[in-house]
Amino acid sequence: MAQAAPAPVALAARTRGLRKLYRGTVAVDHVDLDVPQGSVLGMLGPNGSGKTTTIRMLLGLTVPTAGTVELLGVPMPEQAEVALPEVGALVEGPGFHSFLSGRDNLLRLAAAEPMLAGKAIPGAVEDALARVRLTDAADRRFRGYSLGMKQRLGLAAALLVPRRLVVLDEPTNGLDPAGTREVREVIGQLHAAGTTVLVSSHLLAEVEATCTHVAVLHRGTVVAQGELATLLEAGSPALVVSTPDGDKAVEALRDKRIPARSLPDGLQVDLTTTTAPEVVAILVGAGVAVHEVRKQRTGLEELFARLTESGDAQPDVDGQEEGWL
Amino acid sequence: MTTEVVGMTALPVGASRPRRAPLGRLLRSELRWVFRRPRTLVGIGLLGLAPIVIGVATLFVTSGVTGDPEQGPPITALGGSALTLPVISLSMLLLFLLPLVASIAAADAIAGESASGTLRGLLVAPVGRLRLLAVKMVGVMAVITAAVLVITVVAVVTGLILHGTSGLVTLSGTTLSLGESLGRVTVTVGWVLLQLWAVAAIALAVSACTEHPLVVLSTVIGGLIVIGILGSLPVLDWLQPFLLSDNWTAGADVLRDPVYTGDMGTSALRALCYLVIGYSLAVARMATKDS
Amino acid sequence: MNTKRMALSAAAAGTAAGVVGLVLVALPAGASAAPPNLPAISPEALVQSVLSAKVPAMSGSVSFDADLGLPIPGLPSGDKPIRVFTDGTGKAKLLLPTGPAEKSIVEDGKDVWIWNSQDQTVTKIDGGADKKFHGGMSEGMLADPQNAAATLVSEMRKDSNVTVDGTGWVADRSVYELVLTPKPTERTLLREVRVAVDSQLRVPLQLEVFANGQSDPAVKVGFTEFAPGAQDPKLFTFTPPPGAKVTERSGNDLPKPEEAKGLIDQLQLKVVGHGWDTVLVGKVPAGVLGATPQNGGDKHGFDPMQLIKSMGTKVQGPFGSGVAIKASVGTILIAADGRVAIGAVPQQVLVEALGK
Repeated sequence: MAQAAPAPVALAARTRGLRKLYRGTVAVDHVDLDVPQGSVLGMLGPNGSGKTTTIRMLLGLTVPTAGTVELLGVPMPEQAEVALPEVGALVEGPGFHSFLSGRDNLLRLAAAEPMLAGKAIPGAVEDALARVRLTDAADRRFRGYSLGMKQRLGLAAALLVPRRLVVLDEPTNGLDPAGTREVREVIGQLHAAGTTVLVSSHLLAEVEATCTHVAVLHRGTVVAQGELATLLEAGSPALVVSTPDGDKAVEALRDKRIPARSLPDGLQVDLTTTTAPEVVAILVGAGVAVHEVRKQRTGLEELFARLTESGDAQPDVDGQEEGWL
Repeated sequence: MTTEVVGMTALPVGASRPRRAPLGRLLRSELRWVFRRPRTLVGIGLLGLAPIVIGVATLFVTSGVTGDPEQGPPITALGGSALTLPVISLSMLLLFLLPLVASIAAADAIAGESASGTLRGLLVAPVGRLRLLAVKMVGVMAVITAAVLVITVVAVVTGLILHGTSGLVTLSGTTLSLGESLGRVTVTVGWVLLQLWAVAAIALAVSACTEHPLVVLSTVIGGLIVIGILGSLPVLDWLQPFLLSDNWTAGADVLRDPVYTGDMGTSALRALCYLVIGYSLAVARMATKDS
Repeated sequence: MNTKRMALSAAAAGTAAGVVGLVLVALPAGASAAPPNLPAISPEALVQSVLSAKVPAMSGSVSFDADLGLPIPGLPSGDKPIRVFTDGTGKAKLLLPTGPAEKSIVEDGKDVWIWNSQDQTVTKIDGGADKKFHGGMSEGMLADPQNAAATLVSEMRKDSNVTVDGTGWVADRSVYELVLTPKPTERTLLREVRVAVDSQLRVPLQLEVFANGQSDPAVKVGFTEFAPGAQDPKLFTFTPPPGAKVTERSGNDLPKPEEAKGLIDQLQLKVVGHGWDTVLVGKVPAGVLGATPQNGGDKHGFDPMQLIKSMGTKVQGPFGSGVAIKASVGTILIAADGRVAIGAVPQQVLVEALGK
């Protein structure tokens, strides 16, 4: 908790005491989520932690068992027709008709968009297609799209109209690295344009790469939320070195006034006053055999790692290690 | 650790009135979708062949039975003329195939969209749930109407090709003009449509309850079969007048002269009741459904 | 939540309205309506007015219900009623549904036309209309409750208590209920015969026959629709459709009274008793029942006597032995020697009649 009184932050979405029971099973409970206006909020949690259920309640698709939802300042689902025109969403994977082309699918959704005038529909569809680089494939049937193309078409549907809030549920699911980069680019553009983005993911890497804020869900409850930087920096940075010559290494570092302590098969080095390359250079210079060097997990990493490694959540193999070390 | 958030910060929304896409645009979009669905087109196309098959088959049957050369060409006993062929075709198809088409359309309308994930897209757009249901009902009714009209037109044309404008004979032995005949065919068309729309309303209510189109299909068609069996049990005579498909052969009463309106009137009113009940249940389900 | 609650209320109201409508459609109209308030009338006056009433120009539907406790072939069946049209001057049209087909009988004032849609045939009876064709048609009798009821009333007054038992509704028209109950001395299976008479036109609209121990009528013939008023004259003309096979018969071909008498003589018909316990006794011409050991039934292996035996019970008496078939409204006794007795009476009365 911050000590000084902070400036009030306007919220694009807000839930209080949100609870949802599905046939007696608690899907989410006590969810108090704040999505600050203009932020890119990553909703982080292992599969089955309640991310999608929370998003569905935010969008009025599902009625909460208890609690309140405010979307763009109005209660949901009562005033869905006030808020939703300015909200774009990609929920639970892209839903399209396989017998229609990508363009026809978008035209159908565009016809339902209250913010689009009839004459603006074809242009809006072409723009959205171009934005996700599907113009060339626009006339092919959705049935023949690759997983990545389907996901991009879903993204295009969320971008048919300039939005104040875009909600993306696992947008990079099934995308190759290039596709993932494209999604990140789009999120960056939206953020730059002042659009609030709520993106859910089970990958910390993705959240770290794109988000300004993060909310961690576990077993249907928000266990941590705030600015990404704040959460990442919690705890002092450290380097873990694997080496058979632990004592020799600690000695060499202490000579250079770098705090370090012995571990069973190596040592841990405090990085407050130095950098990782410097440490490695010192150790190599001292003739220490370095087997492996890695950054120690900070607060958020530690928390998320604990959640994903616990028995009730399946760590996803897909790109799990990307961006680490 | 977290950024402090102050109170109930309501974001000013440009216009706090509900905004909706024009209904006409939604309807056009729905109809375009419905009539581009391959299943719809194939179904209607196949049903359109039925009157030709019935008409040609009747030709063989009647010439086999009463093909007395001295009597000249046999006048058609059943499905021959431009009057009887459409009425008989519609009556026969009403018993199973047309309700099947109605159920498929209703199953695709909500359960199917739910299964393909497209219902969410429409609800988030947003299309209000009751507006969406109304649009869906219109779409399903349009498929049914198209199927019935195709059957009718094909049947009238087949009848005219096979027998010309002669032989427009009613069951009561009177001969009608082509205009009168078409008028009577129109009555049957309207009556058949009402029955099918009632089936569709019930099917739509089921469709709003499930994500599996096949569940809708088996519920409605299974229900009609069960009703047919119940209706044939003498013990359950009292139940018969409550069953939608009771009197489903009454469409052929336009072939009597004067038209016997008793059964058609009763079953039309009954269909109207089922239509209201089915649509009401669909409204209740749509209003509370999690999508 | 407001929209949602409104939607749910509307849905509940709609469902309720639909169900109520369904019940209204399903239940016969006027079943629970209060009986109409009509000026009192004596049975004599009512019967008199019935006998002198003239059938007006009208159209209507007649339905026939029988709960005889026996399957009887030849009775009109199916859901569709018989439709009757008349112009009040003797021209008439009867439409008899026969399954999905229809028989049409048109009396155009001169000739009678019979059209059968099943085999697409027309029978024209020249001058048939003058000969009062109705007599030849059992279905015609059923479809003509005016005649059926009027005949019954005059016959039964000798042996019956005739009362006017309140009022009611038939085919949406107010009626007097004329009730005939057998006098205590009558030995009959019947409890009462109820004739509903239109309060204005004095035309019988419905005939119900109740058997002892039954709450529902054993036989019920009556109008389900009755609309007096001028009819389209086109209804009472008939032109055979092109290609139809037309058979012409002269009105003189119809059974003449003397021929009918010959038939009766052949059947050795005689009437025993009178009133409610009238018994008709006759003799089936040899061979009809096919019970002779030589042929052992007809060529299809069908032995009518076997069927009769399976439906009835064996009876012994002064007349010999035979088989009795009992229905709720009557009994038939078929003696082994071919004599037959029939009446709306218990078996014992038939046994006595055969003994005479």
